[in-house]
Amino acid sequence: MTATLMREESSSSPVTDGPRPRIVLKNASRWYGNVVAVNDVSCSLGAGITGVLGPNGAGKSTVLNMMAGLLAPSAGEVLIDGAPSAGNPDVYKTLALVPEREAVHAFLTGYEFVRMSARLQNVSDVDGATKRAIALVDMESAQDRKVGTYSKGMRQRIKIAGAMVHQPEVMLLDEPFNGMDPRQRLQMMDVMRRLAADGKTIIISSHILEELNDLATNVLVMVSGRLAASGHFREIRRLMTDRPHTFTIRSSNDRALAAALLADPSVFGVELTPTGIVLRTADRGALTRHLPRTARTANIRLLEIRPTDESLESVFSYLVER
Amino acid sequence: MTGPIDSTVLWLTWRQLFARRRLYLAAAFSLAPLLIALVFRFTSSDLANASVPFLTSLLREIVIGTLLPIAALVFGTTAFGGEIDDGTLVYLLVKPLARWRVVLTKYLVATACTLAVMVPAIVLPWLVVKNNDLPWQFPLAFLAGATVGAIVYSAIFVTLGLTTRRALVIGLIYVVGLEVVWSRLINGIKSLSVREFAVAVTKQVSDGAVQITDPVVKMSTVWTMGTILLVVAIAIAVRSLARYEIAERL
Repeated sequence: MTATLMREESSSSPVTDGPRPRIVLKNASRWYGNVVAVNDVSCSLGAGITGVLGPNGAGKSTVLNMMAGLLAPSAGEVLIDGAPSAGNPDVYKTLALVPEREAVHAFLTGYEFVRMSARLQNVSDVDGATKRAIALVDMESAQDRKVGTYSKGMRQRIKIAGAMVHQPEVMLLDEPFNGMDPRQRLQMMDVMRRLAADGKTIIISSHILEELNDLATNVLVMVSGRLAASGHFREIRRLMTDRPHTFTIRSSNDRALAAALLADPSVFGVELTPTGIVLRTADRGALTRHLPRTARTANIRLLEIRPTDESLESVFSYLVER
Repeated sequence: MTGPIDSTVLWLTWRQLFARRRLYLAAAFSLAPLLIALVFRFTSSDLANASVPFLTSLLREIVIGTLLPIAALVFGTTAFGGEIDDGTLVYLLVKPLARWRVVLTKYLVATACTLAVMVPAIVLPWLVVKNNDLPWQFPLAFLAGATVGAIVYSAIFVTLGLTTRRALVIGLIYVVGLEVVWSRLINGIKSLSVREFAVAVTKQVSDGAVQITDPVVKMSTVWTMGTILLVVAIAIAVRSLARYEIAERL
């Protein structure tokens, strides 16, 4: 499947592989007063791991909370197995959410927390299910300690154990790897992969592209409340790394350097500004090799070369502007 | 789990309400009247005649009038307030569990906790000063009044804890402003005062054992207004939990 970039007017809905979508969003929007958190998102998600990627504040949590039925869409529909998830506690028999906030009942032990989840889910073998879930996240050694004494990564893991104690078909994990060390992260990814191989639908949000590397086959990219792109992870990644890079350059003679740089095939835009040259290139590597040579040939002294937009936000917003 | 009460929510709420710090507070609340009674017992020069008016005003003013609303306020607003503040309510919300059952269970635990504080607060001082003028009907009548009070107060405060983040302040304004100050100035306000309900029930049940000379609210008013307050409060709580949405940080 190739990546799709969403246009303003686009209404096509990205679909994951698998015969039966479990989560369907139809033009779902959510606003708070006059702040729009999620704007007209449509997608159908089925078995396997789907990553929801985007900078902080892009609306990832809002989308996940809408899927989890904790936020009603202001417009549009959010369906789990064909039924609206908001105000419908029965969906939680098959759906589980690992919320982003790390708060867990601090006065309970890890075991008590997971066991409470099992009891509330009416699991038939409460203690058996509790033990299995705790073993899966490798928390047996700390299960009798109060959750209040846990590290961030341990809290994340006990939250995941509590969420999957009833073996849900659909799991929504909001930034689950926050606070985990690399080893725990790899182990947790392995758990997710096994669940996905079992045919479960797993949605993982993250603001870090690399976290979803080798994990999510399908990725939804959110920027400013909109679905900016969706598709295969590798495609999304290529779009992100191939984007044009912008540099700001100051030199002893900006005008002459700008003229000389335009001759370079790797450069496709040069702008003279009072603070220096703003240069756009598709090939970062070529530019860094050519620039000093060009400057020397033209007998111009380079004063400063600075990449302008290396923030994650700009990477994502490139995808929207494209 | 088909009854109106969910045993797991009951267990969780119990653990929440009796977290260590609140346990100390509850102990202090339930033992303070005993201390006052002990001081009275060992300092009063006319124990025979002073015991009845002493115990009447201790139980009416301090226990029913002050400790009961404060205990109900603390337990009631914490029943949901604590989980809303730290964000752990979400773990109850994402379970296949009817929301009204969550409300009823938490309400029941809050009421039970309030009563657990009231029983020693009423019975222990009576044990210290009891004589022939203070039969067992005396503490029993106050217990009946406190029970009615706890039932209505808890409903109001559980709902406040669920619907506003300033439940403690609003609850205090209700207790101090409406009940203590206004209801003394304007008689009609008494029919909205849970504390007055408790006093009226106490007088009614005591059958003369408790001497309350000033006018109390009519029993018919107690039942009507008490039921209305209770039902409306619980209905609002169920409704707002069913529509509860997690707060977003935008």
